[in-house]
Amino acid sequence: MRSFLAEWTPLPMLGMFALFLVLPAVLPWIGGYTYLGTEVMIWAIFALGYNLLLGHTGLPGFGHGAFFGLGGYFLGMSQKWVTGGLWLPLLIGTLGAAICGAAVALFVARKRGIYFALLTIAFGTMFWFAVFILDTWTGGEDGLTGIKRLAVGIPGLFQVPLQDNLAFYYFVYALFVVLTVVIYRIVRSPFGQVIQAIKQSESRASALGYDTARYKWAVFTLSCAFAGFAGGLYSLARFGAFPEPMSLHQSGNVVLMCLVGGGFASFYGPVLGVAVFLVLRDLFSTLTDHWMLLYGLLFMAIILFLPEGILGLTQRKRRPAPSRDTGATPPPRGEIAAPGGPR
Amino acid sequence: MPLVTELITQLLNGLVLGLLYAVIALGFMLILGTMEVINFAHGALFALGGYFALALQPHVGWWAALALAPVGVGLVGLLMEFGVRRTYGRDPLFGLLFTFGAALALEELIRIVWGSRGYTISAPAFVAGPFQAGFLFYSKYRVLVAVLALLLLGAVWWFLERTPYGAIVKAGAHDSEMVRALGIDLARVRNLVFALGTFMAGIAGVIAAPMWSLKPTIGAEAVMPAFIVVVIGGIGSFWGAILGGLMVGLASGLSNLVVPRGSILVMYLLLAVVLLWRPRGLMGQKSMLEL
Repeated sequence: MRSFLAEWTPLPMLGMFALFLVLPAVLPWIGGYTYLGTEVMIWAIFALGYNLLLGHTGLPGFGHGAFFGLGGYFLGMSQKWVTGGLWLPLLIGTLGAAICGAAVALFVARKRGIYFALLTIAFGTMFWFAVFILDTWTGGEDGLTGIKRLAVGIPGLFQVPLQDNLAFYYFVYALFVVLTVVIYRIVRSPFGQVIQAIKQSESRASALGYDTARYKWAVFTLSCAFAGFAGGLYSLARFGAFPEPMSLHQSGNVVLMCLVGGGFASFYGPVLGVAVFLVLRDLFSTLTDHWMLLYGLLFMAIILFLPEGILGLTQRKRRPAPSRDTGATPPPRGEIAAPGGPR
Repeated sequence: MPLVTELITQLLNGLVLGLLYAVIALGFMLILGTMEVINFAHGALFALGGYFALALQPHVGWWAALALAPVGVGLVGLLMEFGVRRTYGRDPLFGLLFTFGAALALEELIRIVWGSRGYTISAPAFVAGPFQAGFLFYSKYRVLVAVLALLLLGAVWWFLERTPYGAIVKAGAHDSEMVRALGIDLARVRNLVFALGTFMAGIAGVIAAPMWSLKPTIGAEAVMPAFIVVVIGGIGSFWGAILGGLMVGLASGLSNLVVPRGSILVMYLLLAVVLLWRPRGLMGQKSMLEL
């Protein structure tokens, strides 16, 4: 039993789940609101999935907001015009984003480093423009409104309406719990071992006989599926799909969320990063109209002074000399790009 | 005749646009190639060039603004590099995110100083309005843009290929350790290259401002084609950037005739086709940037 727990839901994860379970009761006391908690969990699913690519495989994808947004649009369009309902559109949103991601992954799977980043930026903005151009279906700048949070339950037995924010919170909570465990299992799986090997040294992994391009393709597609799922939930939360989550700006946000929490160092980093980020966003926007300036400066400060993220910091304290094989720090230059060294 | 006129006009538009893209892309690539940093703020610096010119033109006139505004942008770049340099040699993500933050901050600063509204900037008097050649009317200013862009491209080529500084820059991009071992202060070289790259962004912004109306988001719109131009042409290739710029410019010009609303997507189509055909871009060679 104990080992089962450790393998599927280790203690920190249980603690996190417990925290989110009681959060709606606590939030009003500390000046928050239920919707903020919902938003944190949705973005956490997005960020945990994205961190498969960034933190665990070491691939700097920079256009993932696009797939997050696509999930919402696919959900909305299928709910409105094709299938109706809630679960099927959510599945379609996930698959739609995954398929788009799989197509992009064909182009980027053989790249890494800066080239990978550049290409994902380019393809990410392609989807962003596409949403504006296909405004007959997507609603363009106004977004695709009228997405319904239909009731969930077992037909004939019970139905839980999701209109209420608290009910919707626990709906998202249940999915958050399931997906966190799923992503954790992916990291712990043989597949997860291979992608972490790719992070440490792609040439070594491929010398061991792994088709690294195929693994990179798969992990990219997978992270897009999680992005699409989270994006679908986000469109339910906001009763509509809007272009703004697809902007490069939001793609950058999810990267920084992973980084600031310590996504390179810890599985839970992205969740912490999301929470810190969304709270700061709320705080900044109440402080000044020009919060984007603060935001940008914060971005720069984090890169300069806290590149390992918050959880990376605690790890550094605990282990003064991080050993290379934990993957706690991004490999130093010599490891990935020694000039004249092995490519 | 109207179709032919239209066709020629769009061809010329595409050509002018392509040359401008090439200028933006080269400044971007100079930084990318030498520092391995994706300068996300390139677009914001491009916008800043336009706004500096907007502020300067009433006082010093068009030509002086054309010279001074990019210098101002270059100084901003010089300062920025002191932060960016801490990301050298680390995961490319850090440089990318640092400049991304800088882009956000710069864009917001522009909003604070000049507001969110758009400005239309008039072309200097001597190139105002169109000229006529047979049945064709074409904007004089765009011709000036093409000439200036060509001059700039020529100057960069001369700098990279014919001066000792260009040799140092290229060598530094290729094998930084060896350059250091030869006793060259690479930190200073990088600082100056960063300033030069941002200078290029700034001057492109000044030139482009009268063609596009100046608004805070103009940078994001200008930098995307530049990214694509760099990838299509092949990272690190001077002629690739020019070829890529012309291709993207012409493709979006011509597609304006057929699918005006979809013309933005055409460059992505071009990107996909080129990458399927030549994964390193048209003139890209296996380089250290590929890792």
